[in-house]
Amino acid sequence: MKQFLGKQVHLPFVGPVTLWLIMFVGGPLVLIVYFSVLTPGPLGTILRTPTLENYLFLLRGAVGRVLLRTLLFASGTNMICLLIGYPLAYWIVKYGGRWKTTLLLLIVIPSWTAYLIRIYSIKSILGYNGFLNQALLSLGLISSPLELLYSVPAVMSGLVYTWLPFMVLPIYAALDGLDPSLLEAAEDLGASPLQRFSTVTLPLTKGGIIAGTILVFIPALGDWIVPLLLGGGKVLMAGSYVQMYFVGAANIPRGSSLATALTAVVLLMLYLGIKFGGEEALERII
Amino acid sequence: MKPSNRTGIMGRIVARVLLALGYVFIWAPVIVLVLFSFSRNKFGLWWEGFTLQWYAELLTNAKVGQALQTSLIVAAVAVVVSTALGTLAAYGLYKYRFRGKKAVRIGLLLPIVMPPVVIGAALLAFFSKVIRIPLGYPSILIAHISFSVPLATFVILGRMARIDWSLEEASADLGADTLTTWRKIIVPLLLPGIIASAALIFPWSFDDVTVTFFVAGTGTMTLPLYIFSRIRAGPSPIINAIGMIFVALPTIGLVLWTMLQSRVSGKKR
Repeated sequence: MKQFLGKQVHLPFVGPVTLWLIMFVGGPLVLIVYFSVLTPGPLGTILRTPTLENYLFLLRGAVGRVLLRTLLFASGTNMICLLIGYPLAYWIVKYGGRWKTTLLLLIVIPSWTAYLIRIYSIKSILGYNGFLNQALLSLGLISSPLELLYSVPAVMSGLVYTWLPFMVLPIYAALDGLDPSLLEAAEDLGASPLQRFSTVTLPLTKGGIIAGTILVFIPALGDWIVPLLLGGGKVLMAGSYVQMYFVGAANIPRGSSLATALTAVVLLMLYLGIKFGGEEALERII
Repeated sequence: MKPSNRTGIMGRIVARVLLALGYVFIWAPVIVLVLFSFSRNKFGLWWEGFTLQWYAELLTNAKVGQALQTSLIVAAVAVVVSTALGTLAAYGLYKYRFRGKKAVRIGLLLPIVMPPVVIGAALLAFFSKVIRIPLGYPSILIAHISFSVPLATFVILGRMARIDWSLEEASADLGADTLTTWRKIIVPLLLPGIIASAALIFPWSFDDVTVTFFVAGTGTMTLPLYIFSRIRAGPSPIINAIGMIFVALPTIGLVLWTMLQSRVSGKKR
């Protein structure tokens, strides 16, 4: 098209964003990889002595267990969100009619606009004097309040509650874009409903599932506010430690090794997502 | 997809009940929260009669006003800067083939898919140990623009695939210079995409807590940071009242907007 105007003709357009990304996204990410192999000094300083101690620390004791738990929580959240989110998206597309968009927005909007408020709503409902306990008490179903907060189920329900909409959205988009004539063809050829689903619908919405997985697994992996508010100090996740080392303890090298480990998991997920989902999965993320 | 005749009526009823349960799961906690913002209960945890006193307190709370102002300024600047940068980038990505294009696209994905805790921590390390940008408005704005620019770029790129580019050529043929063509042809054609990108970025930036928490320093407080500090201090009906702003208003707005849109498209038919 316009290529004959000059070889670098795209630069004035793509240049500013590329520069911004290198400076404020790529640069800082490379920086924490660099910091992760340096030695923490006194009072939050960083000594230029190279070391692998920060990584060995990740494998030992408490932090190692938390890292493993974080991976389990994120995978579990992802599985539960997929099991709830896929049927939800399916039914909205199938039975939504002209309310489809509104029904979808009713799932998506609160997650865009009220991250903290939604977590707080769970906290205040599950709390010792919260709505659930008071309701159960006044119904006479329990005689003293239950300890519902600050437990693994509390954290897990918070994670699912927070990230579910991000699973519904790309799956909805994939299902909505599905050509109904393919399903009719399968029906004409004698496929049962289950067969139609497993051989037509599911494979054709794979991109949506992969995009949803990226959008749920990754933020759940890095979540530190759900474990803080719903897990108290008891159920920590990797993000809790990142926050602690960077802000509280000012031990940037140690926090960096943890952040680098999380980044590695994220990049692996992205790589797998692109490998198995192709460009389609990438495009569904937006 | 129309429900086929073979799907039993029972199956459809079960599906609808489960669908309704999904909405109850998503909305019940939020509705309870907003409901108790009108309750006299001092902790916003139970119903003790109707009152508007928490809203009155909210309106006269100087800290809330200050935080709201900060959040609005940050979100507005993030929208303007990232839409401008994103429009340029989308144009470059759409029109030209060049080496490293795929790298730019993947690079644009990073700030969206990276956990905010990693982005926030990396930016904090960068600001405090390398370039020493003051923590406050400058650092918050840079951080917000960083995760907004990719959103703007991808949304506007999507719009570019749908517009009639022969108008651009026609404008050039009629002797308009590049700037005029952009002002009179390209930007107006892209407007729906630009509005969509703003509608995505504004709430995203307005609601961000993690990245902001890392880079805000001590003096500057956005509304989510204020909420966060209130939540950590214990239950309070003030948080419920703020919840109204974050949940009810955007929901009502967007539902009204879609209903309006479906009426408009209905009239066209």
